[in-house]
Amino acid sequence: MARTNRHGPAPRTRRRLPLRYLLPVLLLTALMAMLMLRGYVHSEILADHRVRPPVSSDKVPEKILEGGPVIDTRSGRAQGLKVDDKRLVLTFDDGPDPTWTPKVLDVLKKHQAHAVFFVTGTMASRHPDLVQRMVDEGHEVGLHTFNHPDLSYQSKARIDWELSQNQLALAGAAGIRTSLFRPPYSSFADAMDNSSWPVTEYIGSRGYITVVNNTDSEDWQRPGVDEIIRRSMPEDGKGAIVLMHDSGGDRSQTVAALDKFIPMLKEQGYELDNLSEALGVASAHTEVHGLDALKGEAWIFLVQASENITSGLVVGLAVIGVLVFTRFGLMLLLSGMHARRVRRKNFRWGPAAPVTEPVSVLVPAYNEAKCIENTVNSLMASEHPIEVIVIDDGSSDGTARIVENMRLPGVRVVRQHNAGKPAALNRGLRNARYDLIVMMDGDTVFEPSTVRELVQPFADPRVGAVAGNAKVGNKDSLIGAWQHIEYVMGFNLDRRMYDILRCMPTIPGAVGAFRRSALERVGGMSDDTLAEDTDITMAMHRDGWRVVYAEDARAWTEAPETVQQLWSQRYRWSYGTMQAIWKHRRAIIEKGASGRFGRVGLPLVSLFMVVAPLLAPLIDVFLLYGLVFGPTEKTIGAWLGVLAVQAVCAAYAFRLDRERMTHLVSLPLQQILYRQLMYVVLLQSWITALTGGRLRWQKLRRTGVVGAPPAGMPGQRVRGDSERRPVG
Amino acid sequence: MTQGYQDQRSTDHRSADQRSTGAENPYWAVYEETYGVPQQRADEAPVPEGRAPEAKQPVPEPEHDVKQSEAEPVVHVKQPEAEPAAKPKKPGRDRYLDLLRSIALVRVVAYHLFGWAWLTVLFPSMGVMFALAGSLMARSLSRPAWGVIRGRIRRLLPPLWAFSVVALALMFAGGWDPGKSSDGPTWGWVELINYVIPIGAPPFPWSIGSKSGLLEDTWAVQAAGVLWYLRAYLWFVVASPLLLWAFRRVPWVTLLAPLALTAVVGTGLVTIPGETGNAVTDFAVYGSCWVLGIAHHEGFLAKIPRYMAVSCSALIMAFGLWWASGHLGPDGWDLNDIPLAQATWSFGFVVILLQYSPSWQELPGRLARWDKLVTLSNNRAVTIYLWHNLLIMATVPLLDLFYDLPFMQSESAAAALDTTYMIWMFVLVWPLIGLAVVALGWIEDIAAKRSPRLWPNGAKRGGSRRKA
Repeated sequence: MARTNRHGPAPRTRRRLPLRYLLPVLLLTALMAMLMLRGYVHSEILADHRVRPPVSSDKVPEKILEGGPVIDTRSGRAQGLKVDDKRLVLTFDDGPDPTWTPKVLDVLKKHQAHAVFFVTGTMASRHPDLVQRMVDEGHEVGLHTFNHPDLSYQSKARIDWELSQNQLALAGAAGIRTSLFRPPYSSFADAMDNSSWPVTEYIGSRGYITVVNNTDSEDWQRPGVDEIIRRSMPEDGKGAIVLMHDSGGDRSQTVAALDKFIPMLKEQGYELDNLSEALGVASAHTEVHGLDALKGEAWIFLVQASENITSGLVVGLAVIGVLVFTRFGLMLLLSGMHARRVRRKNFRWGPAAPVTEPVSVLVPAYNEAKCIENTVNSLMASEHPIEVIVIDDGSSDGTARIVENMRLPGVRVVRQHNAGKPAALNRGLRNARYDLIVMMDGDTVFEPSTVRELVQPFADPRVGAVAGNAKVGNKDSLIGAWQHIEYVMGFNLDRRMYDILRCMPTIPGAVGAFRRSALERVGGMSDDTLAEDTDITMAMHRDGWRVVYAEDARAWTEAPETVQQLWSQRYRWSYGTMQAIWKHRRAIIEKGASGRFGRVGLPLVSLFMVVAPLLAPLIDVFLLYGLVFGPTEKTIGAWLGVLAVQAVCAAYAFRLDRERMTHLVSLPLQQILYRQLMYVVLLQSWITALTGGRLRWQKLRRTGVVGAPPAGMPGQRVRGDSERRPVG
Repeated sequence: MTQGYQDQRSTDHRSADQRSTGAENPYWAVYEETYGVPQQRADEAPVPEGRAPEAKQPVPEPEHDVKQSEAEPVVHVKQPEAEPAAKPKKPGRDRYLDLLRSIALVRVVAYHLFGWAWLTVLFPSMGVMFALAGSLMARSLSRPAWGVIRGRIRRLLPPLWAFSVVALALMFAGGWDPGKSSDGPTWGWVELINYVIPIGAPPFPWSIGSKSGLLEDTWAVQAAGVLWYLRAYLWFVVASPLLLWAFRRVPWVTLLAPLALTAVVGTGLVTIPGETGNAVTDFAVYGSCWVLGIAHHEGFLAKIPRYMAVSCSALIMAFGLWWASGHLGPDGWDLNDIPLAQATWSFGFVVILLQYSPSWQELPGRLARWDKLVTLSNNRAVTIYLWHNLLIMATVPLLDLFYDLPFMQSESAAAALDTTYMIWMFVLVWPLIGLAVVALGWIEDIAAKRSPRLWPNGAKRGGSRRKA
């Protein structure tokens, strides 16, 4: 009661904060756990493939060595039972196998023979239906350990664990326990030696009967059908336990041999029974009820789930692989085309070239005291005639005053109460004199030629908006270098590709130009989404305008320097993009330009920006899995291969942008530290989207926080940094 | 490029860029300009001219021997009269480096106790220690080299002598005859001089006493085995003026030459036999770290763009891991057995640590609560390092007493103690180290020509000084 919620929103924030880590972490942990479980039942984890060479057998009792193959060491006994003459027990080890076990069962059923299957826990867990079928058709099931180690190497604890896990799998698969056991790598009773005998004694003390064999078909060597029969056949009508395998490779010879062998035996007057029938004792099976049965079922359920999920993941990985490589291929091809086209010697955007009419530059600013002076000064050096309108969105740090005190000609300051960036832009639009509008950020710096280059595409009357080339200024920190790579690739590959495909999803707010008439037709900027730049760009497409990329219109921006700022920025980008896609979803069924964008652009953008990044973590999950359990070298090789492809793409983008290649040295680290951060952000956006984050976001908007994601991160820098988007 | 972002930063980066290409090493010109302010980035607050050398590193002050890394006696930069008797503040003392040294010490003790190979990957203590020592040495070398070297040696030897007296007494009492060494009777005795001045690693018997004795029969190996560090340290100290000279002329070559040397002598390509070989290999393996310390002090590291430094170190470290994976030693991933992997991994690790070096005046946030322990361990680093292995072994007979306690007689209690034995050793070794600090730590003060202190953890220094 002392902890009632009296302190307003603070405890709420605290409670919600971990969620954005918790959910992705939980998801990833669950995924890893499933993969581990899969690795475990596929004997990729904890598998022990050592086999002990034979040692002397002076400590094994004579009567065991010379006795029968059914070794009973329960409660201090030591006797080897034989099967009566003219009785034969077929035994199959290592199954059940999804291909061969059904065929073996079919043959047995056809000849009305019973047998004993010594199943491993891993296989039984993976194919529980086959175990059930064995039991249903009158066969007996014995234990063959969980994952087939040589028990003479194992501790007692491990032996107990092997047995109990195996029983657990049986209980889950067929609802039974068994008292039969066959040790892995065993053969005849007289092959017992000083290392395997203590194990046999111990297992007997746990209540199991150890079953070895009289004749070994050695079918795993695939010696041919006749040879299998010859080796399996006991001498002159004696009783026998025959060792065969229904798993571990191609068992077609075994199946074929059985089909001949059983009739032959029957002709000789043999009875083919399971072990209990042959010995004339009660069945080795006991039914499991209650908690043990539930545990078994839970186990089987988990294993099945992990198998299904893993198959799903593999499909996902294939999908993402195809997507990633298609995207890279498309990007290389189309950005090459784009660069060649716009760099042709006599390239002209359109009939009105060159564009020389004056331009209104809108600079929305919220607490940009630090940067605004640089920004405005850089505009003053513009080679193109401009008017500058700084819209102060209720800054508390005197941003507007700073600009006014500069007393520059052609620079106006418009003040408004804090109402968010879209409102500021609309206000600026109303105050603008000219028909070409350039929008930039308060912390962005233009080159003298930027405005001129940015508006040249308007020589084509069909062009409604132009995206410039935003570049990272602070690229010498690690996080800056990563973003630099991202920006250069985003602007020089993605944007060129989208330009050619006519579906550019975003005009970066840091450097973009609009035709006033086009803006007015779509109703100006909207605050429906967190990414108003994506929203307006999609609206332009739907209105039939062309949106193009001007590579030489460079703007220098300051990238977030801390993980938290970066997180908050990217969160809004990805969530905003999702909102914008959702907002414009009706385009898919519309006619004309809108429909064209809806059916080509929207799916493409969704695929590359929302779905692909969601699947991309699979690469890392499998990398981790492969590193730990799988073929480590191949995994690293594959990863390096993907890295090389990325390096090639990045190098091409850098060359297109005439950037120095040195920053590419941070590409490998980007792949193992930075990309993952982006996934988690995207995952977070998905979670917010699916749990109704819209409402929360609107609440936040009222407080005028433009820069904060719904989860609410205290103390972060608040400003309209939804622009400068490298991708899109 | 354009205005704005580039302008503010251009000076630094241009110089760094040119440096890598210029044959005449134009870096030097910039370097000389900034030499008065040896540390850190341009955006740090300017430092008054006279105080410049202390801007980053601790100023001389009786309480803190911050300048000591493990086994690293330091002569003060300024003359003793500059030391006020009880100065309440600790201006300029870099607690980040102190913290690194403390972590390195704890890691060394844990590694020697548990023997977990992965600890050498988790935190390459020795590389860190040598880098810190190299940085401090570079700082001291603003004064005449001979005096600096002499001072360093003077402060190294007395604590070593104390250790040598005890260790040798124990060994001789155990029946060790150095004359029976494989190097022949004369050399065996001559090599004992390394217990007095560690030009080479001192000799010790591989097996002494009986297995059933109080200590394991390999206690001498473990006790004296740590002395290689003193030998390596001594070599580095003596070589430092030369290294500094070379670094100022050809920084990159000096920085990377030890790695190249490791690739030759540490991979079996060339094998130098005997103790000389060990000495050369150790020198090569940790040489780059030592020079990194120099580079850090000279402000060289701060001039390399961070993304470049971190990315390249990551590549070098990846190479180290890859090399280790193909050359696993008897203890698997224990980098101490894989010279080239140790050298490259430590190098990259230290570059990153120093690249992010935040120059704390005091430990921030939650780390602040460790302040006293960090100060203490830095003040007594030599003592802790010299004695910790002997003390680890001393925990065994002490812990074995527990088996005789009345409530420990049941089988399950004994089994519980068996399984948690190492943990108890780790718990017990710290009080023992504390005892050693009290009993033997003052020798470090004497060696530094200071009045001896019992427990120099920096707390209530005014009061404790009056008592002293």
